[in-house]
Amino acid sequence: MSTYQWLLIFHVTGAFFLIGGGAIAAALNLSAMRRERPSEVVLLFGLIRIAVVAIMVGGTLAFVFGLWLVHEAGYGYADGWVIAAIVLLLLANAMGGAGGKRDERTAKFAKELAASGDAPSAELQARLRDPVSLALSYGSGLVLVIVLALMVWKPGA
Amino acid sequence: MLAIVRPDSWNLPLFLHILGATVLFGTTAVLAIAGFATRTHGEHEKLLWRVAVRTFLFGVLPAYILMRVGAQWIDGKEFPGGDEPGWVGVGFVVSDAGALLLIIVGILLAVRRQRIMLAVPILTTLFVIALGVAWVSMSGKPGS
Repeated sequence: MSTYQWLLIFHVTGAFFLIGGGAIAAALNLSAMRRERPSEVVLLFGLIRIAVVAIMVGGTLAFVFGLWLVHEAGYGYADGWVIAAIVLLLLANAMGGAGGKRDERTAKFAKELAASGDAPSAELQARLRDPVSLALSYGSGLVLVIVLALMVWKPGA
Repeated sequence: MLAIVRPDSWNLPLFLHILGATVLFGTTAVLAIAGFATRTHGEHEKLLWRVAVRTFLFGVLPAYILMRVGAQWIDGKEFPGGDEPGWVGVGFVVSDAGALLLIIVGILLAVRRQRIMLAVPILTTLFVIALGVAWVSMSGKPGS
C-alpha cells in the first residue's frame, strides 16, 4: 500500500474515535440527565471518561494525519476547505473542553451528594440541564459533523 | 496529485455512510461499556440495562440503518455493474454479520429484562473490532 493509503487509514481511524467518542459521551450524558440519584449520575459521568480518552486520541490522529495528508495528496494548506476544517476542529476542541470542565464540576458535586445520603437534588438536576454546558458539548459534536462534511465534499478543491 | 477526485453525486451517500458508521461505532461501544460496567457496579445493573436498551433503540439501530443505506447507495453509484473489489466485500461481510449479531444482542436485552448478560458486552466488543477492520479496509482500499 502507498503512503497515502496508510495516512488515510490513520486519519479515518482518528475520525472514528473522535465522532464515535462523541456519540459515547452523548449517550451517557443523555442517560445521566434522566437520573435523580447522585450515585447514578456519578457512575454515568465516570463512564464518560472512556469517551474523553477516545475523543483525545481521535482528535490527535485526525489532526496530525490530516495535515500530513494535505501535503501527501497535493492539496494546499491555504485552501479554503483545509483552513475551515482546521479552524472548526480547534473550535470543536475548545467547545468540548469547556463543556467537559463544567461537567467535571457537576460530577464532583454529584459525588459529594452521593457521599452524604445520595438524596435527589434540585441543584444537581439544574446543573445536569445547564443550557450553557449542553450548548457547548452538543455544539461541539455538531461542529465535528460539519468538519466531516467538509472532508467529504472538499469545496473548492 | 494522489487525491481521488469523486463525482459530486457520490458525496452525499458517502457522508451518510461514514456518519452512520462512526455513530454506530460509538453507540455499539456504549453497549459494551455498560455491559462490562455491570460486572463491577452490580448495584446499578438496572440503570446500566436501561442505558444499553435506550442506546440500542435510539442510537445503534438508526446508525446501522444510516450506515447500511449509505453503503448500498454509494455502492450502486461506484460499482453499478456489481463487480466490487475485495475491500468493498469486507465492508458488506462486516455489516451483514453485524446485523445478525445486533439481532442477537437485541433479543438478549429483551429476554433478560433489567439485566445485561455477559454475552452482550462480548458480542458488541467483537462488532466494534469488526467495524475497525471494515474502516481500515474501506479507507486503505488494499489492492486498489
